Amino acid sequence: MSDVTILPIAVDAMGGDKAPGEIVAGARQAASEGIPVLLVGRSGELGDVGDLPVLHASEVIEMDEDPAGGVRRKKDSSLVRAAEAVRDGKASAMVSAGNTGATMASALFRMGRIKGVSRPAIATPIPVPGGTPTVLLDSGANAEVSAEWLVQFAQMGSVLSHHRFGVATPRVGLLSIGEEPGKGDALRKEAFELLVAAPGIQFIGNVEGRDMMTGDVDVVVTDGFTGNVVLKTLEGGLKAIVKALLAAFGAKPEYADATQTLMPALLGLYSVLDPETYGGAMLLGVDGVCIISHGSSSARAMVNAIKVGADMVHAGLVDHLRAAVGS
Amino acid sequence: MPAETHVEQGPMDRREIFELVRDRLADILEIEPGTITEGQSFADDLQADSLALIELVEALEEEIGERTVGFRIEDEDLEDLKTVRDAVDYVFARAGKPS
Repeated sequence: MSDVTILPIAVDAMGGDKAPGEIVAGARQAASEGIPVLLVGRSGELGDVGDLPVLHASEVIEMDEDPAGGVRRKKDSSLVRAAEAVRDGKASAMVSAGNTGATMASALFRMGRIKGVSRPAIATPIPVPGGTPTVLLDSGANAEVSAEWLVQFAQMGSVLSHHRFGVATPRVGLLSIGEEPGKGDALRKEAFELLVAAPGIQFIGNVEGRDMMTGDVDVVVTDGFTGNVVLKTLEGGLKAIVKALLAAFGAKPEYADATQTLMPALLGLYSVLDPETYGGAMLLGVDGVCIISHGSSSARAMVNAIKVGADMVHAGLVDHLRAAVGS
Repeated sequence: MPAETHVEQGPMDRREIFELVRDRLADILEIEPGTITEGQSFADDLQADSLALIELVEALEEEIGERTVGFRIEDEDLEDLKTVRDAVDYVFARAGKPS
């Protein structure tokens, strides 16, 4: 972590199933580790915040509220105020475990898009046991996309893969239904040609769903609908496997000793697969660092999300995105 | 905002409102401002979807709100704004300089 002091990370204290308690706990933990944090929310409901500064926001956009409408109607909501804090130079990044669409809308309408970016995309790290995570984008911001947007996603995803995961020259794959060029729908075919010709990225061609968790590709680009389906399928699949493994180990009493021996290895593997380890997804393409955490985020997830936010501020991520895509 | 860049505040005339709408729309759609004309339809001519329109409305409210306090584009009026002209007329009616 750099010694350069950064502006605080604005944390939406009201967003998420476990807000505000777990969010405040995570924020306090991150602050105790040296990261400046600004809590945003209804000050009377946050409990003991220790020494953390609080930016009061009287409204909350609920998890099931229409995103754009919520941002327009609740101008004093924690999400909108957090995004404004970044825009106005009072915070260097924002983190929320609340309504994903509203987090995006707040960032889009208040921080604005990086000049040249057509549409921001949500980039989610997909765990690769034994390797660096694969960046999947768009994993839910734009249900439908154009081929040109996919090229920008490739460029932005490459920047993130490089600066967050240290991949020197990220390999970009276009998610499709076959590896051969020419496979896929009209959008994929058009995007394929544009990606081949696009400067600044290492395009390796089409990739399939099963390639996501191998070490063969670093950035996978797709539309937000497909990306979200992939993300939730993986999440559910991994959960099911872990549950089944634990059930198998507990199936007979004679397995108990072996389970005991294997447990550290299993816990290590679980940590690699656990979304909480990564803190959350990033909204790429807005003029500020914006981390979107899982609605079920615990304090641990929030600490990691805040750390990622701080790391990306230190890395100058937004400037790198601007250079890669911006006009 | 430094004083030397501060433009005269107060209601805008129709031409200024058109230019504001045109320039914000150009930013949002990533197109040349010169290609935007009043007669164009947001959906059919400019391929501006609902998210782009809301971005436009938010930007307009922010800028015009500095000159005309409390300026707001009502959500129920949004669906009536089909062309660039509709948007300019709407803003002018509520925040324009009376002639």
